[in-house]
Amino acid sequence: MPSRILGRPGEKVLLLGNEAIARGAVEAGLGWASAYPGTPSTEIVETLHSVSKDLGIHVEWSVNEKVALEAAYAAAISGVRSLAAMKHVGVNVAADPLMSSAYTGVEESLVVVSADDPGMWSSQNEQDNRWYGLHAFIPVFEPYSPAEAKDLTRDAFEFSSRMHHPVILRSTTRLSHTRGPVTLREAKPPVAKGSFKKNVQRWTVIPAHARRLRVELLERWGRIEEEVEKLPYNRLEKHSGGQAIIASGIAYGYVVDALNYLSLRDTVSVLKLSTTVPIPRKLVLDVLSSHESVLVVEELEPVVETWVKRIAYEEKLNTTIRGKDLVNRIGELTLETVTRAVAGFTGAEYPWKPAEAEITLPIPPRPPTLCPGCPHRALFYALKRAVNRSRVKAIYSGDIGCYSLGVMPPFEMQDALIEMGGSIGMANGFAHVDEDKMPVAIIGDSTFFHAGVPGLINAVYNKSPMLVVVLDNRVTAMTGHQPHPGTGFYATGEPAPMVKIEDVARGVGVKHVATIDPFNLKDSEKKLMDAIRYVAEEKKPAVVVARRACTLLIDAAARRRGITEPLYIVDQDKCTGCGICYNAFSCPAIIPLKNGKAEIDPALCTGCGVCAEICPFNAIRLARKGDPEWEKLWF
Amino acid sequence: MKALNMVLTGVGGQGLITLAATIGRAAVLEGTHVLIAETHGLSQRGGSVEVYVRLGEVNSPLVPPGGADIIASLEIIETLRNLRFAGLSTTIMTDERLIRPNIPGISVPEVEEALKQLRSTGLRVMLIPAYRLAEKAGSIIAANMALLGGMLASGLLEGYITRSSVEKVISEMPARWREVNLKALDLGYAHVEALLGRR
Ligand SMILES: Cc1ncc(C[n+]2csc(CCOP(=O)(O)OP(=O)(O)O)c2C)c(N)n1
Repeated sequence: MPSRILGRPGEKVLLLGNEAIARGAVEAGLGWASAYPGTPSTEIVETLHSVSKDLGIHVEWSVNEKVALEAAYAAAISGVRSLAAMKHVGVNVAADPLMSSAYTGVEESLVVVSADDPGMWSSQNEQDNRWYGLHAFIPVFEPYSPAEAKDLTRDAFEFSSRMHHPVILRSTTRLSHTRGPVTLREAKPPVAKGSFKKNVQRWTVIPAHARRLRVELLERWGRIEEEVEKLPYNRLEKHSGGQAIIASGIAYGYVVDALNYLSLRDTVSVLKLSTTVPIPRKLVLDVLSSHESVLVVEELEPVVETWVKRIAYEEKLNTTIRGKDLVNRIGELTLETVTRAVAGFTGAEYPWKPAEAEITLPIPPRPPTLCPGCPHRALFYALKRAVNRSRVKAIYSGDIGCYSLGVMPPFEMQDALIEMGGSIGMANGFAHVDEDKMPVAIIGDSTFFHAGVPGLINAVYNKSPMLVVVLDNRVTAMTGHQPHPGTGFYATGEPAPMVKIEDVARGVGVKHVATIDPFNLKDSEKKLMDAIRYVAEEKKPAVVVARRACTLLIDAAARRRGITEPLYIVDQDKCTGCGICYNAFSCPAIIPLKNGKAEIDPALCTGCGVCAEICPFNAIRLARKGDPEWEKLWF
Repeated sequence: MKALNMVLTGVGGQGLITLAATIGRAAVLEGTHVLIAETHGLSQRGGSVEVYVRLGEVNSPLVPPGGADIIASLEIIETLRNLRFAGLSTTIMTDERLIRPNIPGISVPEVEEALKQLRSTGLRVMLIPAYRLAEKAGSIIAANMALLGGMLASGLLEGYITRSSVEKVISEMPARWREVNLKALDLGYAHVEALLGRR
């Protein structure tokens, strides 16, 4: 699809928040963008990839967030307007270069997009990354709508360029994944090449330099505090009712809608804040001194509230300040929670009454599951059998990716799971303290490259016995199929050098390295048992790479090229209703009938054929042969 | 213009995001303001999907419980799950198709039970056989457009988007889906016209 973000100036287009951020960067003359994928940030750099050729700019999927930020920083200190994007927890990975980037400042713009996930729609926590701004002395800009996201991103670049300082653009799931109309403006010609000017006093943070840089940083911060006062995105909509609401980022939209529904839009003042770090002090002071009571509405932590209270204290004002006593701190803001808070603050009546539709029927939950034909399912099945038959007690050290779904029944093979790369890192600890059990680290291909390799080197060096299973489905599947260093291609589809997981494992000193095809259950089981025996006997790490592409990739490729997939059916005469295929294997394409027998939904079956392998009664057979080309798509 | 609040629901992969984006593009063509909140990432792997579409004077993306004007659904369990968005004057437009959640040993209601439960709420319900109509149009891929045709025929979108702007948006889709989608839109439209006694 030709990218909508390259429309004509003046044109109004429907953009996703993340596409709007990408467009804003393009309007600012962006020359470099790097990122590691992560919901809800992924589409920013995905969109920039789609226009990189047209614009002649450098866009890359980096191996992890730390490298993405370091590379973008280098581009920025060489005079190129740069962006690094990541999900909120990605900033933890990139925190080291982030802190230093504020000390040195930058030559040209560096905008770090942090896409936070209040509500934890697809994350392990809901950390509020505005704290990073306070912690690192980096200003935080927070847009409230797709249209504002575009403009604020563009102006974040201008601000960063003018102040020679990085800027954090903070988005959230709701903003990143909300679509709205955006009017395009003229784009500056992109500058993708720069020149690094040697200046050791400035670019090397050895203690002697860093001590001086810290003094300069605080001076610069003082100027930044003055500059944010002038940004048009912060504004006070004043009314005479004596009450005011301070709304930061996306809270502004909810507050305006709530006031409209409560018929209070012309009574209650609103201070709209788009820069929450540092806070525009004069505007806040104006609100505090001209109203009797103020409500701070912000998502997650009381960042703005804390500052507003501090300002009131310093200025000896006794304005009533409310915030997290009325607004939810846990989970995302919604029109409902904000309207309740505003109603509570103003004494107005909450406007919506749900219909009294009593539901007596039990509604089954519908959590996400591994797809039909997913190689991870076959791997879990084979691994469980291998562990049981080897008579070892396993600690399944888990990681983040589609295979995290292995935490659920029927597999329940993710015993501890904290962050990306943690499977191997934690296995190093389990290996030495719980010697009765064998740590089995389960990690995806993208995650292996992201943060798994140092843990593996540690296991070799510190002789930590563990089985590492790398689930190589040839792509970063969970975040929407981005390439990584092991895939052999770039986001543009062009071929790339391929880093092989087996080579990495052997290269760092792992002596037992095997490769399996998870669709071949018998062979997989055998090789996994071999590896388990090696770990038990040699007390050293072993690596097994389970290689089969993500079924969604194959499905899409088959459809695109008109290649017929195989199809399996259940022979109802042979089926005994044992349930192994739909319970123990749990393929969503296999439906239990009323009599307990199994049936395959032809619309869902991808033809992987693993169910035919596991059926103890040979009741599942090929109904339609696939195209000979189909098998070749997988590797 | 008063806000029109819609909740579109179903299961990952049913085309709800495309359905919402089609409404959104049509709104941009008409000069109607629109905000669409989507579900991406993990939540899409065969899980429940909810998309919120707000048209008119809106500044924020979500629909409050009790605040939906329309609940449109391609799966009956998800319709029931999302009834919390229904207020007294909500219209529910749903296919009766039921997709079994993939949980070992889970008990799933029968379609008939689900329909009975839905009717017992006393809410305004329009059954739209979107999958059957899409199949007739050439592919079940177009079930989302059959549902949209029904929504347009209901008259509830009047003043926000028109059928002709939706058709314009569809005609910009890749050629191989254009005809099927237009046909499905038409069949959905005709179905609801007939329900309302206009045909
Ligand atoms: C620090 C960090 N960055 C990014 C993410 C988002 N994320 C979740 S899983 C995943 C990658 C999964 O890819 P892979 O390991 O190949 O497993 P797959 O989903 O393909 O099975 C990413 C990038 C995250 N959770 N944490």
